[in-house]
Amino acid sequence: MHSVETVPAHLEQTSAQVLIASRLAKRFGDRVAVDDVSFAVAAGETYGLLGPNGAGKTTTIRLICGLLRADAGQILIAGQPISTTATPAKKSIGYVPQEIALYPDLTARENLRFFGRLYGLHGKALNHRVGKVLDLIGLSERGRDRVESFSGGMKRRLNIGAGLLHEPTLLVLDEPTVGVDPQSRHAVMESVRSFGAAGMAVLYTTHYMEEAERLCDRVGIIDHGRLVAEGTRRELVAQLGEHDHIQLTATGDLAALADRCRGLEGIDRADVKDGQIQLLATEGRRLLPAVLEAAERIGTTVRSVEVAEPDLEAVFLHLTGTALRE
Amino acid sequence: MNTALVIAAKDLRHRLRDRSAIVLGFIAPVLVAALMSFAFSSVEAFHADIAFVDNDHGQIAVALRTALTSRELSDVLSIESVGSEQQAGKLVDDGDVGAGLVIPAGFSAAAVGDEPVGLTVLGSPDNPLEAQVAKAVADAYVAQLNADRLSVHTALAAGVPAGRTAELAKAVAGLRLPESVEARATGYRQLTTASYYAPAMGIMFVLFAIGFTAHSFFAEQRGGTLERISAAPIGRGGVLLGKSLAAFVYSVASLTSLAVVSSLAFDAQWGPPLPAAALILAMSAALVALTALVIAVSRTERQADGIAMMITFALLLLGGNFVLISQAPDLLRKLALLTPNGWALRGFTDLATGAAATAALAPALVILGMAALVGLLAGVIGRWRAAS
Repeated sequence: MHSVETVPAHLEQTSAQVLIASRLAKRFGDRVAVDDVSFAVAAGETYGLLGPNGAGKTTTIRLICGLLRADAGQILIAGQPISTTATPAKKSIGYVPQEIALYPDLTARENLRFFGRLYGLHGKALNHRVGKVLDLIGLSERGRDRVESFSGGMKRRLNIGAGLLHEPTLLVLDEPTVGVDPQSRHAVMESVRSFGAAGMAVLYTTHYMEEAERLCDRVGIIDHGRLVAEGTRRELVAQLGEHDHIQLTATGDLAALADRCRGLEGIDRADVKDGQIQLLATEGRRLLPAVLEAAERIGTTVRSVEVAEPDLEAVFLHLTGTALRE
Repeated sequence: MNTALVIAAKDLRHRLRDRSAIVLGFIAPVLVAALMSFAFSSVEAFHADIAFVDNDHGQIAVALRTALTSRELSDVLSIESVGSEQQAGKLVDDGDVGAGLVIPAGFSAAAVGDEPVGLTVLGSPDNPLEAQVAKAVADAYVAQLNADRLSVHTALAAGVPAGRTAELAKAVAGLRLPESVEARATGYRQLTTASYYAPAMGIMFVLFAIGFTAHSFFAEQRGGTLERISAAPIGRGGVLLGKSLAAFVYSVASLTSLAVVSSLAFDAQWGPPLPAAALILAMSAALVALTALVIAVSRTERQADGIAMMITFALLLLGGNFVLISQAPDLLRKLALLTPNGWALRGFTDLATGAAATAALAPALVILGMAALVGLLAGVIGRWRAAS
């Protein structure tokens, strides 16, 4: 860390807080990857960093795990500052990278033993932990098989297991469900839920809104390197007020319809995307007749209308002006 | 240190499971060294068959034939007497003999006259070395003959009575041209091809490990395992030390096993164990430094493969791993001393020819110095690239 910043009041160390990231900043040349990001994660809490690809999630994770040097800011893990050379703080972290970071020509057990040894485990304690983790991830029967023979889902589970061996106080998972089939994805999410329930602090990055909604006690929304909002799902949605998300599928001059909708009272946003118009509106159902009338007037044909309660996707749209998966 | 050992043990386990690493490190060096020794064994065991045509039948021709068939030359030359120059030429053309030596009629008489008659050497492009040997033998004999003639003429000119010519000629015939040049290696034993090519091929294959190791480093980086290791509570130095240790142990094991197998199977001479071990350890340190340099200057597996290949072949060509460096041109012999493998081969050949154990000290120190320089360069480049 080049400088020690003042820790924001809401991030001051409490006994329950396992991770405190304060005013983190990181540039790569001219590109700002992380800009003044602060948040904290408490023991037993699952915190989601939600943002599209390239938003700065992985860079934030790499700063927290001591894999990158921050240009500014401070990170405390269980009260200890972390940096690329701070080994004591690293002992408290279990890192699960986005890639399947395992050795395919070693067995599951050999992989776990190797990563366990790196964290100082050895002898009976190591064997005990390896057995326990294999049980936890449901791979006890395959422990002596080489990883190259595993399915994608099994590899994902083992990838997570390798981060749990030393019983970390903070588990950091970087998009652990990318490229995973629905069944394995469900299994991964169930595992993560159990870690939080067991008292572990979990930092989970994803660009899947539904994962963040299902798993995380609190969510930080990150875009262009900035943490634009954070809170529980309820707190974030409340920022929208009584807003609804209206999705119109229509043919004709959609841009003109979006323009017309923007002029209607109660419509906060109107965007055209993929042959659809997305509206963010106060009391959306009450506004529907006016929207349909506007469509008729400019000659567009509405094929379908969907009105949804606000979700994190709508929050993201509201805060950043773009859809989460753009 | 403990985590460095953990990483080294994992890397070595990887290599043991990789058949190509086993083949490259332990099987191929033995096979190729055996093949090279066999292919070049004629260099160390030279023997020429020469067809001898005596059209003179004089005293000097008989004396030449006697000299050529002497016991001293029996290991090098075999003389086959044939009746005519045409017959000898056919034997040479057919490759039945390597060269032909024709003593013309009147050769003995001319030796004491004023008009000397030359010997004829028959050669073939297929056996240039044999023809050169035959010519050298003929030249040496003619030189001796001319020296004898000169001595007799000088004595006569100085006033020795003509009646004593026969006595004088007999006395001169007992004299020989002085031999002042003695070819000798640093040690006292002859260097066998097995003793040269065993370490040469062993070093060649451990140099191939530069690309192999650098490639696996970038494969780990791409696969995320290197990042996962870096997230563990170990310093960057521990990771580098572990990976270096694995490369070092692999190189030492490869060269040591080759030394043992080639000594037992092909009677290759590696010299006394301690100085040979010093050279093996120094060369393995150089391998680690060169690998670090390749990793420092590369960004991807493909780049690492290409750069490693260039460095490896440049070192092999300059260092003399493909040819007996003692038979190479002077410039190549000097260039070889710019490479760690060139110095290692120099040390091993000195030990193989029976030089004192201390003969390995200077090569080992020079190799270690080169390793330190290359390692330092790799460190500087690595830090510079990390900072940028």
